[in-house]
Amino acid sequence: MPHLDAAYNLARWLARGGAEADDIVQDAMLRAFRSFDGFRGEAVRPWLLAIVRNCHRSALEQKKRHAAAPLDDDDGAQIAADDPTPEASAMERGAASELDRAIATLPEEFREVVILRELEEMSYRDIAAATGAPIGTVMSRLARGRALLKAELAGGSHGM
Amino acid sequence: MACDEALKTQAYLDGELDAAQSLEVEAHLEHCVECQALAADHADMKAAMAGATYHRAPAALRAKINDMLDAEANVVPLKTPRKSGFWLGAGSGAGGMAIAAALAFLVFAPANNAVVADLADAHVRSLMGEHLIDVASSDHHTVKPWFAGHSDVSPPAEDFKADGFTLVGGRADYVHGSRAAVVVYRHGAHVINLFAWADHDARLPGTSSRDGYRMVFWKQKDLDLAAVSDVDPAELDRFVDLVKKSQPRE
Repeated sequence: MPHLDAAYNLARWLARGGAEADDIVQDAMLRAFRSFDGFRGEAVRPWLLAIVRNCHRSALEQKKRHAAAPLDDDDGAQIAADDPTPEASAMERGAASELDRAIATLPEEFREVVILRELEEMSYRDIAAATGAPIGTVMSRLARGRALLKAELAGGSHGM
Repeated sequence: MACDEALKTQAYLDGELDAAQSLEVEAHLEHCVECQALAADHADMKAAMAGATYHRAPAALRAKINDMLDAEANVVPLKTPRKSGFWLGAGSGAGGMAIAAALAFLVFAPANNAVVADLADAHVRSLMGEHLIDVASSDHHTVKPWFAGHSDVSPPAEDFKADGFTLVGGRADYVHGSRAAVVVYRHGAHVINLFAWADHDARLPGTSSRDGYRMVFWKQKDLDLAAVSDVDPAELDRFVDLVKKSQPRE
C-alpha cells in the first residue's frame, strides 16, 4: 500500500489519539480504494492525504453531532472527557517530547502545513493539493505556523 | 517586523524557487536583516523538526487494512460492471469469453491508468522546472554511465541531433512505484521525456494521452519504455522509431 505511513502520520497529528487515527486511516484507505478509478492525473500522495483530511473532518463532525444529541446514559460525559486540547492529548501520551507537544499546540490549519512540509517534505504545490488551499495561503500558513512554533518553543521551559 | 519579501525568502529556503528567482533572493539576503534572521530561524527549525515524531503505521493496522482491501477487491467484479455497462451487456450473451475479457479489462485498466497518470505527472513536473535534469549533457558517453549509479536500469541514451532530437540530459524518477531512468531530449521548443523502467510483465497500452501529452509505450529487451511529449504525434513516432533502431539487437 503506497503512502500508508504518510496517511497515518497526518492522521495522528490531526486526530486526538491513536484509536481515532486508526479509524480515520481505515476509512481513508477504503475511500481511496473505491475512488481510485475516478482519480485523474495528480500525484497520489496529496490526493490520498486530502482524503485523510476529509475523513478527519467527517469524524469530528460526527462526534459533534453525537455530542449535541440528547443522551440517556453517560456517553456525554465520556465524549467531553474524550475531547481534550491536542496539547493535553499529546501530554497524555507521556513519551511525547517538548517539541511534539509544541507542535500539538498549533491550531490545525498551521499544524497540518508544518507537518506536511517538515515531516512529509512535500512541495508547496502538493501541500496545496492535499489541503485544498491556494499556494499563497499555504505559504502564509507555513510562515505563521513556523513563527508560532518558534514562539511556543522559546516560551517553553526547554527552548529550541 | 517582517520584510515584504519574507514569503519569497521562505520559498527560497524551502527550495521552491527556480535558479533565476533564487539569485534574486540571495542578493536580497545580503542586505535584509529580517530575512537573514528568517534564514537562521529556518535552519534552526529544520534541525529541531528532525526530532519530531513521525508516526509510522503500526503493523496491526497495516494488516487490518490489507484484509479490508482484499475483501473489497473481491466484490469489485460484481460491482464494476454496473459502471461499465458495455462489458456487462457483452457478458450476458457471449458467456465465458466475454466475462474473461471483462475481467482482463478490470485487472489491467487501473494499473495502466496509474502508469499513464504517473507519466503525465512526472512529465508536467519536469516542465515546471522542478526536476528536469539531474545530469546535463549532450554526450551519451556521459549520460549512459550516469544512470549506472543513479538508476536500476540502463536506458538507451543516444543523441539523435542529426534527426532533430537533441539529447540534453537524464534524471532519476519514479513510475508506478518503480525506479525509472529518464532520458531528456529537445525537439525545437518541445521536451521529450523518454522513461525506462524494469519490465514487470504488465501489459502496456501502446499509446495513450493525458492532459494534452501523448505517450507511446513499448517493450525493448527487459525494459518498459514510454516516450512522453506534446510534440507533433508524427514526430513522436519518428523519435520512437529512432530509439528502437538505435538499440543493438541481442
